[in-house]
Amino acid sequence: MPVTTLAAEKLLLQMVDDYTAREIAPQDMPMDAAGDFPAGFIQKLTDTGFLGLMLPQKFGGAGFGPEVTATALNHIAQGNASTAVTLEGHFKTIDQILKFGTPALQQQLLPSANDRIFAFSMTEASGGSNPMGISSTATREGDHWIITGDKIMITNGGLAQVYCVLVKTAPKELSVFVVDQDMPGFSFGKREDFIGLRGTPVGEIVMDHIVVDDDHLLGKLGDGGKIGDSAHDDARILMGAVLTGIMEHDLKIATDYAKERKAGDKPLTELQVTHRKVADIAMRKETTKLLYQRAAQLKAAGQPYSEEAAMAKAHGSRSAVSAGDDTLQILAGYGYSREYPVEHLIRDARAMEIAEGTVEKMRSAIANAEFSK
Amino acid sequence: MKIVVCIKQVPETNDVTIDPVTHNLDRRGLAGVMNPFDKNAVEQALQLKDANNDAEVVLLSMGPDDYAESLREGMAMGADAGVLLSDRAFAGADTLATGYVIAQAVKQIGAVDLVLFGRQAVDADTGQVGPIVAEFLHQPQITYAASLRLSGPNEVTAERLLEDTKQTLVATLPAVVSVRSELNTPRYPTPRNIQLSFAKPLTVWHHDDLDLDDSRLGQAGSPTIVTKVYAPEPVKRELTPLTGTPTEAASQLIKALKHRQLI
Repeated sequence: MPVTTLAAEKLLLQMVDDYTAREIAPQDMPMDAAGDFPAGFIQKLTDTGFLGLMLPQKFGGAGFGPEVTATALNHIAQGNASTAVTLEGHFKTIDQILKFGTPALQQQLLPSANDRIFAFSMTEASGGSNPMGISSTATREGDHWIITGDKIMITNGGLAQVYCVLVKTAPKELSVFVVDQDMPGFSFGKREDFIGLRGTPVGEIVMDHIVVDDDHLLGKLGDGGKIGDSAHDDARILMGAVLTGIMEHDLKIATDYAKERKAGDKPLTELQVTHRKVADIAMRKETTKLLYQRAAQLKAAGQPYSEEAAMAKAHGSRSAVSAGDDTLQILAGYGYSREYPVEHLIRDARAMEIAEGTVEKMRSAIANAEFSK
Repeated sequence: MKIVVCIKQVPETNDVTIDPVTHNLDRRGLAGVMNPFDKNAVEQALQLKDANNDAEVVLLSMGPDDYAESLREGMAMGADAGVLLSDRAFAGADTLATGYVIAQAVKQIGAVDLVLFGRQAVDADTGQVGPIVAEFLHQPQITYAASLRLSGPNEVTAERLLEDTKQTLVATLPAVVSVRSELNTPRYPTPRNIQLSFAKPLTVWHHDDLDLDDSRLGQAGSPTIVTKVYAPEPVKRELTPLTGTPTEAASQLIKALKHRQLI
């Protein structure tokens, strides 16, 4: 790796830490209470160039690779997980356009990804983990495609301006098209009132006869399943990083508190029961970090990384919920109070046992990968 | 217009020890960051550049090789180039010897209209290098500027903020200005500009690259002798409480001041 790349990565993470400490972390608790990003928050994030962090330089981005991109999200999540998940949703979508988009589509869309948030939408009321259960369609009319359907539970739904949407182009054929909020027939629907990651908007889009040309097809007709799987893989690496960040946050809260608090006349740091919990949090955090970094390294090297990405998310999400629970127990009554962030860290982590494929689905994917060896 | 911003890399931690022999700060092995006040100076230069497309911003620092990191950070904020003055001959310099080398480097850069400094470095807190450089360059200087603007083709106007007063000063260019943190909020380097900064020129000048009088360099050129570093003992003063009603208290105060012949 060139020396300049390492130096640039160091400088990037230094900037990310500085920005997180000054601009993101102070909004962590208010964001959870309000259930939204504060006014101007996303604009400042955009103006500081975060949306283009992994976008290739030829499209106006910074062009950082998978490993440092994931680590940047880990560091952001140490201040606030919602901000990191919003970037995760944007980055995984850019990744699919980079992997499957034609040069013309990339040139048309990607320069604007520095200023506009992108989202990937698969889930519908009739199908989440079962993509063939979806009802949205793209039907051919003359030289155009007519897209109709209703997508729900989209990360950044309502905030994003560009959406990759999974639709049926034939009864047994899934394809992905790119639509824009400014297209006639596009509208936003309900925003979910989720219990965790409350800053990140998760919402619905309604597509009522949106007309697009062939150039808005991502990949080829019938590539929908493959593109959807790829989007999941990329998202799972980044979620492993976000979960690591949540556990770093847990660990800091737990150790800071234990250093100050006494039980009777003994500091918590001298109690074996505290040792056990702090060590478990630290081990869960480190193993998740190793898993997401391993998956990101494989991705950077052009090797298969689907199984490792599933491990990072499956292991990381359960670990982060447990780490939050241990942290809460160390803080006892304070941990159970909404005045402190621990309880919302558990709610934030819990979201990732479901989003981008449930942990049950992750385990099936990991097991099937092992059976096929 | 050419602007030079002098920056210093300072230890990231407050946990700095004193070298028991030299009584100077021992910065060895400590991770460094750009002196926070210097970021205000870089931001000011970049704002002048934003308003004047022809402006060129060059960062200048003196120290070991790893000081290049702070120069690179400033270039990622938007500066055009960096110059690092690094040589064993410069080691151990006090503010006078540092100011001398920096002034010689500013002369070598050439055609510099404005030299900016942060008000002081947070590790040694002297605030002396900027004024010393101005003296070596025989240029007007404004210290503690809380605002700064180009007020004419060849002049700057600054509001100088002191403890209990404000002064508005005008200086003809070329000039040296040190700035306060009230001046601005430094911009973050964007991820893209971080990457692009590595294509910008960062030059290292060693002893032989500059026109220097060796007697003014390093410890030999540093008249400062640190004999002892200590926290001063707190001065204990006798307190006389004023009691009673406000009128009685005022009467006691006047009496006490008269007794001390202060009024």
